[in-house]
This record gives sequence, structure tokens and C-alpha cells, in this order.
Amino acid sequence: MKNIRMQEQKIYKTGSRIRQNCIILAVMLLIVVPVINIAIWSFTARWPWPALFPERFSSRGIGEILRRGKETGKLLFSSVAISLVVGVLSVICGCLTARAIVFYDFFGKRLVNVLVMLPFFVPATVFVMGVQILFIRMKLAGTVGGVVLVHLICSLPYAVRLISDGMRAGGLSLEEQARVLGASEAEAFFRVGLPTLTPVLLSSLGMSYIVSFSQYFLTLLIGGGKVKTFTIVMVPYLQNGSRDIACIYSIIFTGISVLIFAVFEWIAARWNRSNSTEFYG
Amino acid sequence: MRREEKLKPYILLLPQLVLSGMFLVGLVNGIVQSFGIIPAFGLTEFSVDYYVETLQNTEVLRSLLFSLYISFVSALLAVVLGVGLAYVLLARGLKNGAVMRMIELPVIIPHVVVALFVVNLCSQNGLIARVIYHLGLIENSQQFPLLIYDPQGRGIILGYLWKEIPFIVYFTISMLGSINGSLGEAAVNLGASSFTAFRKVTLPLCMPNILTGFLIVFLFAMGAYELPMLLGSTSPKALPVLAYIRYTHPDLKMRPYAMAMNGLIILVSLLASVWYFYLMEKSAKKLGS
Repeated sequence: MKNIRMQEQKIYKTGSRIRQNCIILAVMLLIVVPVINIAIWSFTARWPWPALFPERFSSRGIGEILRRGKETGKLLFSSVAISLVVGVLSVICGCLTARAIVFYDFFGKRLVNVLVMLPFFVPATVFVMGVQILFIRMKLAGTVGGVVLVHLICSLPYAVRLISDGMRAGGLSLEEQARVLGASEAEAFFRVGLPTLTPVLLSSLGMSYIVSFSQYFLTLLIGGGKVKTFTIVMVPYLQNGSRDIACIYSIIFTGISVLIFAVFEWIAARWNRSNSTEFYG
Repeated sequence: MRREEKLKPYILLLPQLVLSGMFLVGLVNGIVQSFGIIPAFGLTEFSVDYYVETLQNTEVLRSLLFSLYISFVSALLAVVLGVGLAYVLLARGLKNGAVMRMIELPVIIPHVVVALFVVNLCSQNGLIARVIYHLGLIENSQQFPLLIYDPQGRGIILGYLWKEIPFIVYFTISMLGSINGSLGEAAVNLGASSFTAFRKVTLPLCMPNILTGFLIVFLFAMGAYELPMLLGSTSPKALPVLAYIRYTHPDLKMRPYAMAMNGLIILVSLLASVWYFYLMEKSAKKLGS
């Protein structure tokens, strides 16, 4: 009797294990198939219904992108540069804010907490339609600086959240020890506090980069079509049905961004390992 | 404390305060304009008429309901399926490693690229329709249901789900994992099945975290422009899409109507946030007792 029950339990367990593996496999497929699909579309000349694979391949789309190599290169540079600048500024501002929130008690702290999180609660579309007039008056509309500024406002809450979590886990004790041993406050921060925070800073740099890189509406309104980023150039192709060009742009730009993000995460993970995990749970 | 020390947090906060100040200016500016005060366009009289007219306009009301519908359905399905997927990943011991990295991929892919995915896969001659044709379930592409540019917003919801289910996994899995590993394990030792332990012990304790995920997805979808613009039908349009069309209307006197629609979005966000904080407080009290 007991034997049978144990067997049953075992069967039930293998059954659920198979089911769970199937679910994970299906999820992986759902993630990968669209990516492979646009990679195939990039080389497709004709793909009539109901074929599962293209009838004719061509390098027309790729050729066109390469012919416009200079333009594509410029677009790639401006897109990546804008997002990297936003990422770096976001980490610097986020670090300052997080330090104030985590390590100090001051009048108005609750208000500051609300202000920090406000962009999570009020949609960016609403904010940017309200702020466009201000940007036009400050002569920031249609400039790279203006676009960087609005991107920064929207990516900062992510950075503050990530960095303040990291600071809470790390604490001030190491910096205090450095101070006791005679380091100045700046020295203690730059030579002790900052290195231990590096993984978190890299993660939030990656996150801020992605938030900026993904923006379409903010860039459209504040950039006014003059500041060209990947999304601004790609959307018209998507709308007028030039699917092969839209696919190629997506593969190149998203590929490079995912790579940049992965490099930040990779360095962060390596840093953790080589500096022991004593200060990070 | 020395005065210098007292001032220090404010000095650290300086860039944050400047940026938050700009955000507030945008917000307040929009609200002031929604009451018909835009001196630059010669509008100086305070009036609630724009709100009254906006709320009487059936197109706007349909858009409001449509936006609420897609946001709520997307957020609910993302949370349910995301937490379910997180459970499966935890049960299989895949919390870290290659599978998790893969699942994080959609989180970092821009919405405009997701729109391209949905068009390629879900249109009437897309890949899914072709596979179903080869399975012999439909005879021509017209028989495949309209999933994009449809008035029910199915394509938009599918796009959000592709991005937000992985987001919920990413957002909740570490908390789910740590509670399931400690208190859930205790329940299993006391005789509960692993699924019961997850449902009755881990889930209630992680509710605040899950609710936060729901709120983030809901509010994001409520105010987002890209997916509804690229995948939505001509009618009803999502509220931000409609607001932007009014906003760019050549007649500048239409501007307050756009801002009144934005005002409605702010109101929805505010109500959702109040409800969220109420629930958070309630669950904090429940856990405390």
C-alpha cells in the first residue's frame, strides 16, 4: 500500500516536472521566435502566404543600409551617445540622491521620496506635453541637450531605486573605518565607498541606458524630429510598410544595445565575484 | 550638528530637485492649461468647460474606457502569468543562469521593436496564421482572427504581455524565492504540498511586491503612446493617442481639450495610487498582527 502511494507520488512528480519543462520551453520559444523572425525578414525578398519560409532571399535591404553607411553610422553614434550620456548623468544624480536619502535625516525627506518616485506614478506622455512649452522657451526644444534632459528625468527614478537599495545593503561602516584611519571624506568615498558600489552603479547605468534608448514619444516631442535616434527613424518605416528596413534597423540597434547592457551586467557580476560578496547579500 | 552638516543632504539633492522641479512644472503646466489658461495663445480665463465638454464627448469616453480596459487586462494577465512563471522557474531551480537571462531579454527591448514583432507574428498573414494554416485549422488568411488594428486592442495587449510578463518575473522572483525557500519550506515540512505552500504562504507574504508590479504595469500602459499608436485601430483610440492628436491640432485653441484628457489620465493615476497605498497599508497591518 505504502509502496503504491510512493510510486504514485513519484509519477505525479515526474509528471509535473515534464509539464514545468514544457512551460519553460514554450516561454523560451515565445521569446526567441520573434527575434529570429525579424532576422529572417531582413534578408527576405518574397515571402508569400502561406509559406513558412521565404521564397526568395535578397540582400536589397542590407545593401540599402550599407549604401547609406555614413547616415546609418551617424544615427548609430547619436543614438548610442545620447543614451550613454543619459546613463552616466542618471547614475551620478542617482548616486547623490540615494546618498542623501539613505544616510541622512533631514526636513522634507518624505516629500523628496515622493518626488523621486513621481515619474513612476504620472505617465511620461502627460508630463512631456505639459513641459514642451517650457523647453521651447528655454531654447532646448529640438536640441540634443533638451532630449538628454527629458530622458534623464524619466530614467532617474530607476537609478535612484537601484542605487539606494545597494547603499542600504552596503552601509557606511567601511567608509567610516577609512575616516577613522585618517582619510578625508572625499577620499573615503572615492577609494572605499565607490568601489564597493560599482556593481550596482553599472546595473543602474545599463538600466538608464535602456530606458533612454527605448523612448519614442519624449524624443519626438522635445527633439521635434531634429534629434534623430533609433526609434524616431524606425517608426516611419514600420508605418509605411518597409518591413525589411524596419527589421534590419531593429536587429542592428537593439542588438548593439542588448550587447552594451550585457557588458555592463557582465562586469558587475565579475566585480562581485572578484571582490568577494561579503558586503552584498 | 554643524550647519554645514545640516546643509549637506540638500546639496546632494540639488540635481534631483532641479529635475523633479522640471517634472512638476510640466505637470502643473498641463493642469493649468486644462482649465483654459494659456496666455501665450491668448487664453486667460479659468474655466471647467473643457473638462465638462471632454466628459460629454462620446469619443473621449470610449477612449478612456478602452485605455482602462487594455491597461487593466494587460496588468492583470501580466501579474498572474508572471507570478506563475516565476513559480515554475523556482520549482525547476532556474532562478539564476541562462534561462533567467533569456527571460529578462524582453524587458530591455524597446516597445517600437515589440510592435514590429506583433505585426510580423500576429497579423492575418503573419507567422502564427501560417502555422495554423499548415495545421489545417483554417483555409485562408481571412479566417484568422483580426489580432492587430482591431477595436478590442488584442494586439496591444499581446505586445504588452510579451514585455511585461518577463518584467513581473524579474520584479518578483527574488522576493518569491527567498520567502518560498524559508517559510514555504517550513510549510512543506509540516505536510503541505509545494503548490499549496506557495499559494497559502508565499503569495500572501509577497502581495505588496506583486501589487507594486501590477501598479507599475497598469500606470505605464495607461499613459503609453507607442503600442496603441502602432497596433491600435482607428476607433476607439487609446486616450494618450487621442490627446496627442488634439495636442497637435493646428487650431491652438484646442490645446486645453488635449490637456483635459491628460488631466483624466492624471486622475486615473491618482486614484490607482491612492487605492494602492490603501491596500499596502492594509496588508502591512495584516502582516503586523
